[in-house]
Parts: sequence; C-alpha cells; structure tokens
Amino acid sequence: MRGSTNVGKRGLVRWSSKWWPGTIPLAVLWALAAWTSTAPLETELAARSTAALKDVLLDKSRIAVSGRDVTLAADAFSEDGRHNAIAAIEAVPGVRLVDDETRLVPEAKPFVWSAERDVVRVTLAGSSPLPASKTKLLEAARADLGGFEVVDQTGLARGAPPRFDEAALLLLGQVGKLKDGKITITDTKVSLAGMARDLGGREAIAAALKNLPEGFSVAANEIKAPPYIFQAYKDPVALTLTLTGNVPDSNARAALVATSGRKFFAEKVVDNLKTSLGAPSGFANAVTPALGALSRLSTGTLVVTDREVKLSGDALYDAAAAQLRANLTKDLPQGWQVKADISVKPAAAPVDATVCQQLLTEVLAKGKIRFESGRSNLDPDSAGLLDRLVETALRCPATNINVAGHTDADGDNNANQVLSEKRAQAVVDYLVKAGLPASRFTAIGYGSTQPVADNETDEGKARNRRIEFVVKEQP
Amino acid sequence: MIFLATFHWGWLLATLLLGFAMGWIAVVHRGHGVSKVVGRWLAALVAVLLAVALARVVPGRPGYWLDLGLMMLALYLIGCVIGSLLRDRVLPGPSSAG
Repeated sequence: MRGSTNVGKRGLVRWSSKWWPGTIPLAVLWALAAWTSTAPLETELAARSTAALKDVLLDKSRIAVSGRDVTLAADAFSEDGRHNAIAAIEAVPGVRLVDDETRLVPEAKPFVWSAERDVVRVTLAGSSPLPASKTKLLEAARADLGGFEVVDQTGLARGAPPRFDEAALLLLGQVGKLKDGKITITDTKVSLAGMARDLGGREAIAAALKNLPEGFSVAANEIKAPPYIFQAYKDPVALTLTLTGNVPDSNARAALVATSGRKFFAEKVVDNLKTSLGAPSGFANAVTPALGALSRLSTGTLVVTDREVKLSGDALYDAAAAQLRANLTKDLPQGWQVKADISVKPAAAPVDATVCQQLLTEVLAKGKIRFESGRSNLDPDSAGLLDRLVETALRCPATNINVAGHTDADGDNNANQVLSEKRAQAVVDYLVKAGLPASRFTAIGYGSTQPVADNETDEGKARNRRIEFVVKEQP
Repeated sequence: MIFLATFHWGWLLATLLLGFAMGWIAVVHRGHGVSKVVGRWLAALVAVLLAVALARVVPGRPGYWLDLGLMMLALYLIGCVIGSLLRDRVLPGPSSAG
C-alpha cells in the first residue's frame, strides 16, 4: 500500500506538469461562466437579501448587489435595528461582504405630530415613530372620517413618547368632531384649537381627553363651540310664545315650558326646542328671569347666545321699561351680559269706568295674580299679568279702583282676613310703583267671607283665592 | 460555498470533466510539461490569488470572478488528480512500472 501511494504521489507531481494545456479551455469556461452567471447571481442574492430583511424594521431600504457584495442603504429606527439588518444579510448564503450604508432615522426633538382639519381635507403632519404607526394612523383617520380626504405628510423620526400611537389614535377620533382646527402632540403635551362641528362637540372632546394614555397631558384646549342659542318670541297677535333653539336636557326643557306657561298667562307656548349639550353654565338661571322680562313686554324677542341675553320689544308703560332695563342684569347669574333694547308701546286710547272694569275683568279671567304660598309676596311669574293690569288702569285715569283680596276657607279666619288685606295691598303697591297715583286705589281684604266656589275641593279653593278689581267713577 | 456550488453546478461539473480529461491525457502525454521553477511560480501565484480571495480584498464583481475562477481551478485540479490516478490504474504503462 505504502509503495503504491508513494508511486502515486511521485506520479502526480510528474503528471501535474502536463496538466497546464487544460487551463486554456478552463479559462474560456471561466470567462463564459462569469459572463453568464453574474447577473442571475446578483438578482438571486438581491432577492434573498430582501427576503432576509422582511422582519427587520427599516425605512427607505435599498439593496444593491455587485458580484457577491451587498450594499444596504436604509434608515433604521435603532442601533439594534441596524445591526440586525446587517447580520440578516450577512447570514444570506452566497453573500460575501455587506457594505453598511444604513443610518439611524433622525431623532425629532421635540417630537411633534399634528392633525389639522380644514374645509376640504384633514392633513396629518409632523413625525411618526414607525412605518407601522404611520400606516395605522392614516388608516384610522380614513376610517374615522368616512370618505373625507386625508393627506399624510408625516415623516419618520425617533424620539416619540411612550404610548404615542394610543394617544394619536384617540386624538384622531376627535378630529371628526371638529369643523376646523388642529390637534397637536408635542412630546407628551397635547394642544387643541379650532371649532367644534356641533353643539356638545367641545364637551365630547373634553371628555375623551380624560382617556389620554398615562404620561400625556393637555397643554391647551382651545376648542370653541358654535354659539348656544335659545330664542323666545312673544307674538301679541297670534297670542303665542314660540320657543326655539337649544336647551341642555329634557328636564330643563320641561321646566322652561312650564315656567313659560305660568309667566305668559294669555299666550300659548309653542315648543320648538331641541336638547343639546354645551349649554353655558347657569343657563336655566339666566333664561328664567329673561323669560320673566319678556313676559312683561307687549311684543318682544329674547335671544340668548352663549352668555349674552338680548331682549328687545315694547314694554307696556314707561316704568316697566325702566325696571326691565335696570333689573335684568341683576337677575342674571354672574358673567352674563345683557343687551336690552326696550321701547314703550304707545298708550292706548282712554276708556270710561265701565269699559275699564270690563277690560280688567277680562285680563283677570285669563290669568290669576299669584302669591307665595301663605304669604303676601307677589309671585314673579305674575309680573306679566300685573303689567297688563297696570296698562289697563292707566287708560282710565278718571276712576278709583278697589283692589279686593279673597282667600279660601282653610285656616284661621283672622289670619285669612289679614292675608287677604296684605295681598290686596301688595297688588296696590305694585300699581303705585308702576306710576299710578296711590290715591286712586284702595286695598280691601275680605278673608274667606265671599267665596265664589265650593271650599271643599282644591279646585274650588283655588278659585276662591283671588284678587278682584272694582272700578268706580271718581266722584 | 454550498450556495455557490449549487448555483454553478453546471459550470463546475464541466470543469471537473475537463480536469478529468486532462488528467487522463497527462499520464500518457509526451510533450513538455512546465518546468519546476515555472511550476513553483504558478503555485505561488495561485496561493497569492487564494489569499487575496480569502482576505476578500477585491471588491464587487472582480471579487466574485476571482472566487469563481479559483473554485473552477480547484475542481479542474481535482478532476486532473482523479483522471491521472484512474488512467494510471487502468493502463499500466512505463510510468507505473517505474
């Protein structure tokens, strides 16, 4: 065995000196192989490298292959990402060298992202942390805004705060509630500006902001709401009070309609209100006295816009106009503005005692003068009715009027007597304050001595509690 | 390497066969071989080329061509060795007797 091996070795050395002629066709083969295989090899390696990078997070990745050498240019989102990308390509079989032209995505400081809505489109701008979040946010915006044009101008950058995606998604959900405006995330601060699309939109956005992920805070919320408008129109011809506009909820609506029914004794209340969020604070406390003021006008319009109360119309007499101008501001909650544009209705022609009595009785048949229960203070709801009585009394200056108070039979007779006198006096005081001469009026209390209905039923008792006007020609 | 071998198997097989044929012929070839000195120089040249390839200093396509050439040369030589040994076994001639 050993001998033959030695022979073989020696032979090989000798033979090998004669192997050279084969290198000529070998060179030809080599040239042909290089000529035909280079491009396919490069294509194959490029495909394999691309596949290897499938799970590595990169932006703008570009692979160039020259021979067996791969050049990778890309934006990575972390140092680890860069190393992983290079390692992944180095691991591709057949790759000889990897030329690393990757770089880190620039870091944004501060990290700003914004969504701006104008009339025609929503524009996303600023930075997104990863391509995945960029896509996710764009898709979410498209889904939320249903068909509205969304333009994505965001670039990629490092430095996003933790839970950025969650915060941005939540805020994108609010963009739909805006008519126009801009929502911006600057690091962990959120600022909002613009106009809500609907009443209540501002409140809905404010409520949603409470769910911002931990770490985020609202730096500025300057979302404005469209004006919150409530209107009431007193029509003396149709004898209607028309309520239009917004009220906070159905309870407030019922309360306002009920209160209007009491204040506007002769008018039918037409309720065209709708309920919506976003009422200014103190809405009910402002609208109630404003309606009271409107009830004292012959004809008039009340417009409540946000915190501004605009009352215009004709008062029934001079003193009423002055009182309305002076008192309305006082009656409204703090922070509310009043614009009163009140003129005085021209006085009607004078009438004689008989017609005067008839007119007063008619007015009192439509409505009752109310007092606080068991007391002699006039109910403010009766101001409209009292003004109407004043207006009528002004038309018959040549008469004297007895104002008679009556009570029901409940309780002590003496107490009822006193109460009826006091109530009659309260009415007289109102008339005098309205500018009528005190000498024309006499307050008389009858207690429960002159019932007009059965004192056994509630209805009868209510009819017995009354104020009557008796007109007499002046002697 | 395995990738390259599978990718170029046709060319490599061709070189192997070429080497085999050359080795087969070389045993009975009467012409002049390369001298010892030239042979050493050639060996040194191949060694240098091999070192250059292993050091991966030639970039891009030329680097690939160098790798390809060296692989083909290696297979050619393997073919030659196999061819020569087989010829020597099959046909006992003056060389095997000596």
